[in-house]
Amino acid sequence: MRFSTEQKDSYTEVSGTGRLNMVAAPKLREVVGEVVSAGNKRIVLNMLATEFIDSSGLGALIGCLKMARQAGGDLRIACVQPQVKMVLELTSMNRVLTPHATAEGAFSND
Amino acid sequence: MRDMTDAPDRRRALVVEDDADIRSLLVQILTMQGFDVTEAGTAREGLMAARLGVDLITLDLNLPDGDGIEICREVRTFSDAYILMITARTDEIERLTGLETGADDYISKPFSPRELVARLNSIFRRHNRQSAVEEANATERRRAAEVQQSLLPRDALSLDDYDLAGQFRPSRSVGGDFYDWYRTADGLHLTVADAMGKGMGAALIAATVRAVMRSVSNQSNIDAAFNAAARATEPDLDKAGSFVTLFHARFNTSSGVVDYVDAGHGLALHITAGGDCTRLSPGGPPVGAWPGQTWTPGRLVLAPGDTLAVISDGLLDAYPTIDDFTAAMARVVHSSGSAAQACETLLGLADVPEVDDDVTVVILRRKAAGATGEAGNLRAAERAG
Repeated sequence: MRFSTEQKDSYTEVSGTGRLNMVAAPKLREVVGEVVSAGNKRIVLNMLATEFIDSSGLGALIGCLKMARQAGGDLRIACVQPQVKMVLELTSMNRVLTPHATAEGAFSND
Repeated sequence: MRDMTDAPDRRRALVVEDDADIRSLLVQILTMQGFDVTEAGTAREGLMAARLGVDLITLDLNLPDGDGIEICREVRTFSDAYILMITARTDEIERLTGLETGADDYISKPFSPRELVARLNSIFRRHNRQSAVEEANATERRRAAEVQQSLLPRDALSLDDYDLAGQFRPSRSVGGDFYDWYRTADGLHLTVADAMGKGMGAALIAATVRAVMRSVSNQSNIDAAFNAAARATEPDLDKAGSFVTLFHARFNTSSGVVDYVDAGHGLALHITAGGDCTRLSPGGPPVGAWPGQTWTPGRLVLAPGDTLAVISDGLLDAYPTIDDFTAAMARVVHSSGSAAQACETLLGLADVPEVDDDVTVVILRRKAAGATGEAGNLRAAERAG
């Protein structure tokens, strides 16, 4: 899985392309960890090109959310694809990680 | 796995080269590197020597009696030896790397002894390390699979008027699935869980969860019992950076009432005698996923002919949507003659490339025969609950 990071006006956008599984999970933690330790606390994970997630991937999302919250910030997810949406709903994790329609809109109500 | 874990003085090399000068140079270099070297001047001799078993073959691309590529392919049919192709032309290498020759590496003539030694060192260091890691991984997978297997109910459980069956198929990498059931004074407790991740870590978390769920079995209130078990498990899960999806049900055989908590499992189905299918309501996220959660129990009544089917998300990967999945599961359960047969058929659906996770299926069916008169009372009990 490939990740890219882009600094926006009011948040940092992390995009992931591919399958968020056991192989990609540590990479996501690493990428978000770097963003957080660079002092960026508002992170949007753009999942437009993330076609699949498994339990390890979900674990990584949760781990990243914890990192951001512990740093006093937040991590939000956007542009979630059907399989990812299904897993979030199935596991009731959408209560904790609410998908946003767009990356720009993820922090817009704050 | 390549057998290159032997001590360096036991490594065997084969030099296949028609040019006598280059051949003796190769033999000399390899001997100095600790190889036990056999040499061959023709393709025919080379193939014969290769069949006796070697760890490394240097193979000249242009031999008087055969094409190096063909020989390479043939060696591959019986040998895992590391094959280093030697060619006189640098531009050949680019063409060769695009072909399925079976060779591991290429080097061009003229090569310096130092270059060859460097290449050999990197190959054999890498392979020694790789084989040790591979072996350790295989051993861990085997142990994890043993742990996982030990968590499953050892004996079938026979209940009057009910048909209960469970089946589990581990994935190659061993996931964190397990199911557990045991008798209680008035019926049965059932747990189906999936710990995040793979391998021994997931198997050990599964073992912990199973023990904790059993430890709260004497608490009569499922809500209190489940939340207590979750609180007890959370510190371990937090430390391991893991979570577990958990379906726990308590079942009263005489009334058919099933109280349950679904913590992020999401794939428990109530299939009626008529074939209608309802997914049980979620009670909250997986245990350990996020602090401060509470879980809401639900209730259903199994009328005669009804089935409770609890299926792990491994099988879900074979279907595009959850509705497709639910419909397929309901069809199988409804048309199966027994719980065991339904399990068998459902597990068979997992034999597709999309499914590479553990798959667990538990089926509890209330038998239809001779009990139809009670159905009305049971529906009333469901409404009262």
